[in-house]
Amino acid sequence: MKTGSHQPGDRQQKQVDSSQSRESKLPAGSSSNTTLQALTSAALVLPGLLMQPVQAADAGAGADSFSFHYSRFQEGKRKLFTVPNNVKPIQADVIHASGGLSLTDRVKFSFNYSRDTWSGATPVTTAPLATNGNRPILENTPFGVITSGASPFVNTKILLDRQLNPIRRDPLTGQVIGKDTRLVEIISSASPETRDAANFNLGYEWNEAALNISGGLSSENDFESRYGNVSGRLDFNQKLTSLKFGLGYSKSDIAAILDQDIIPYLTRTAYAKQIESRGGSEILHGGRQDWTASLGLTQILGKRALIDTNIGYTHSTGLMENPYKAMTVIFVDPDVLNDGQDTLITGDVRALVEQRPGVRNQLAISSKYVQHISPFDAALHLNYKFSFDDWGINTNTFTVDWVQPLGNGWTLTPRIRYYSQSAANFYQPFLFSQQNFSQNVVDTSGREVWEDVNNPDTLFVRDENFNLLDRDGNLVDEALLNVQPKTTPFDAKKLPKSFSSDHRLSGFGSLSGGVTLNKRLVRGIELQAGFEYYARASSLKLGGGGGSGFADFNYYVANAAIKIDIEKLNFSSHSGGGSGNAQAHHKVSGQHHHGGHVPAGVMSGHMLDKAGDFMFGYRFMYGRMGGDILHGDLVASDQEVVTQGCSDTLNCRVAPTFMNMKMHMLNVMYAPTDWLNLMIMPKFVDMEMNLRELSGRPDPLPGVHEHTGIAGHATGGVGDTTISSLVKLYDVPGHRLHMGLGFSAPTGNVGLEFRRVFQIDGGLDHFGMQLGSGTWDFLPSLTYTGESSRWSWGAQLNGAKRMESKNKSGYRLGDEFQATTWGGYNLTKWLSASIRGIYTVQGAIQGDFNAFNGRSGPQDFPGNQGGQYWDIGLGVSASVPKGKFVGNTLSFEWLQPIRTDVNGFQLDRKGALAASWSYHF
Amino acid sequence: MNHKYVLNLITVFLLITNIGLSGCAHVAPWERGVLAKPQMAVDPLPMQSVTRAHNYGSREAAASTHSAGGGGGCGCF
Repeated sequence: MKTGSHQPGDRQQKQVDSSQSRESKLPAGSSSNTTLQALTSAALVLPGLLMQPVQAADAGAGADSFSFHYSRFQEGKRKLFTVPNNVKPIQADVIHASGGLSLTDRVKFSFNYSRDTWSGATPVTTAPLATNGNRPILENTPFGVITSGASPFVNTKILLDRQLNPIRRDPLTGQVIGKDTRLVEIISSASPETRDAANFNLGYEWNEAALNISGGLSSENDFESRYGNVSGRLDFNQKLTSLKFGLGYSKSDIAAILDQDIIPYLTRTAYAKQIESRGGSEILHGGRQDWTASLGLTQILGKRALIDTNIGYTHSTGLMENPYKAMTVIFVDPDVLNDGQDTLITGDVRALVEQRPGVRNQLAISSKYVQHISPFDAALHLNYKFSFDDWGINTNTFTVDWVQPLGNGWTLTPRIRYYSQSAANFYQPFLFSQQNFSQNVVDTSGREVWEDVNNPDTLFVRDENFNLLDRDGNLVDEALLNVQPKTTPFDAKKLPKSFSSDHRLSGFGSLSGGVTLNKRLVRGIELQAGFEYYARASSLKLGGGGGSGFADFNYYVANAAIKIDIEKLNFSSHSGGGSGNAQAHHKVSGQHHHGGHVPAGVMSGHMLDKAGDFMFGYRFMYGRMGGDILHGDLVASDQEVVTQGCSDTLNCRVAPTFMNMKMHMLNVMYAPTDWLNLMIMPKFVDMEMNLRELSGRPDPLPGVHEHTGIAGHATGGVGDTTISSLVKLYDVPGHRLHMGLGFSAPTGNVGLEFRRVFQIDGGLDHFGMQLGSGTWDFLPSLTYTGESSRWSWGAQLNGAKRMESKNKSGYRLGDEFQATTWGGYNLTKWLSASIRGIYTVQGAIQGDFNAFNGRSGPQDFPGNQGGQYWDIGLGVSASVPKGKFVGNTLSFEWLQPIRTDVNGFQLDRKGALAASWSYHF
Repeated sequence: MNHKYVLNLITVFLLITNIGLSGCAHVAPWERGVLAKPQMAVDPLPMQSVTRAHNYGSREAAASTHSAGGGGGCGCF
């Protein structure tokens, strides 16, 4: 489970921080003023003289600041012992954007948005190694047959001795190797998934108190969560003591689409009432509620030390299972086990969806001691946390941070953490049950009972001549019925009420260490980079008893962040402080009237004017395709798609129903001179698509897995990165012309594959679902903008020229050219509207996949890519003309397709939205 | 839930609270220059804390002391 949101209360930095923020606003480089600075900062912390900053609902965003944070989580491969593990381990990309604004001196607003995309292999269950649950995949190579990987088998047989010790056999030859009690995780690869979460926070500050209200939601394909909380702070004792409190509630709806390919092998009878069948998929429904309460205290202990203590209680009810995790239960026939022989017996290995208690109460207490170490001007942070719950999990966490300022705005923070937990009382790596998984029903005289499949209430028996008899002993004509032996399933009461083999509920310890490097630049910009390595080991459990290390793993996290503090910006760009705001205002508003507004969907449409200027921007683009399959500009029937949409030798079997693309772009622009701008733009993309079967389709090809069910599939992660320069060519009042010369670096992955299902390789994902072009691309552009009183207008030509003949997957995207022109009108001083026409042409894909791809529909053929597109864009743009937030611009543009003429067969377009925020300083 | 634990925890908490309220050395506002340094903030690196809480939460079963936010979804990886 993730804790995706962050809470008021925990980020509280006390009044000491407010003086810091004021201190930093003093002129940079005024070292002669240190005494004055110290006095000023001391005076500023006088109680009641100033406001405290709201440490609003999140990290990263104090009052009047924006931050953007990217992190990559990468797990190491799990150990499979007997077979090579060649599936990619879990990897997660997380982007997090946040901002805070003071609406008035006392009212603060903040927001957070985060998006995670993860993919890779996870354990579905744990089993004795002897079950050979990770079945070797054999591959023919010129050097003979090799084992190229493993695929999960959760329903199988196992040999056992009479003490129920597993006996391992060679998975290929079946030869008995001997007793082997080792355990292993059964690994299955998961398709990429994306989670979006957003929250909003409103806070009010009194002189010695604060109150925050926040709410948010988190959305995944299978899990939706809404939450709200109230928190506050009271200061006492001349602000030497602060009391914090919080109360929160969250409600989650779970609709887990059970893995289409595992369902036949998964025993889920315990959830029969919660499972809905729809569109060929099984969906497990459930709800969950969490109440949380916390109380905290921050106390200044002296001039150089403080302590922060918090206690938190969580009460959860509902579905707390992970519906994708199963328990391995080995069913042993008690009659065979107790037959007095000493031969090996066979156990029936089954996977049951895990069952956790429906209630959980957790209590945690943590304490942090912060001490200033004068000789180094460093701070030592010592943190200890203890938590326990009624599942039997006790945890201890020790963390030490050393925050070391290095001068010139640099800070280095190494840290080390030790964590240990005891196992949940229902955790078991696997279970034995002395009963049959299912057995034939016999009547009182020992005869096998038969039932009619179409009418299960009607029961029959057979006589010694195998004749079918009804209950009254009359002969029945079997030809009219569909009978089979009646079976009874295992007795669930003989299993524990709750059971889970999720290693996160086992006893273990972990050791992690990392370092964070910070740089505060002038003008309120802060850059941050961090790295952490984490190792989990059963042997690290406090007091021992963590069991064997079969579930040990490690991960690392690398992250980078940028934070922009608006308050500091307005001061720091000027010497003398006091008039800073007015000057900053003048400067930016001067820019505001120069060049008008460029619609949100236009890239590289605007240049910074003055040497030394910065612009920080965020752009979001959403595009949707859906509806009919087009052939050229005409709607194609299913029959046409089947016969003509794929290739001469292969008919199409499926076609897309929809495809959504979301792209987050970060834009940092700097003007080293007044005629040249440099820009870097990292991108983060995620995509979702679903397919349908075409009517009149041919039969499935053997060995090719087809995606069915309602789930669809998704990809996401880091996209390509644009690096460009803008050169001013012509600039007279009312008319400007600039040229853009850019490159796109292939940072987006173009080798994304479908997960492997059993022994069948999924192959490469569709062209349109890959995250980038895979090639270095040249991106030239030419932009003209003009304005006269309230009117503005412009035009741009831009293109993308692929500079390599193919990417690592064997193909390259078609070149692109776009021409666009627009007109805008300032409705008020701060709001303008625009209308725009766009023509785009893109070539078909050159080359083709150099690895296996399912070729199931038009989306998998290089000729069915690109085309000519005509769109109309309607936009609005709002910019802050004066005050503290001057320089902020927010724009939206909707792009409505007017005409679409595709190459080959492609899904129609529904439209696109562009949203852009930029901050110029 | 083990009531002895709860009582112990509450005792510890009240004890600390009591120390706080009864006051340690008095620190006058003009003596708080060191406490005002960024490295002395209770959470000097909040963006890092976000990332870490996220990752620990997906791999460990510990409770949180500042859970007054809740939510977050499944993130079942």
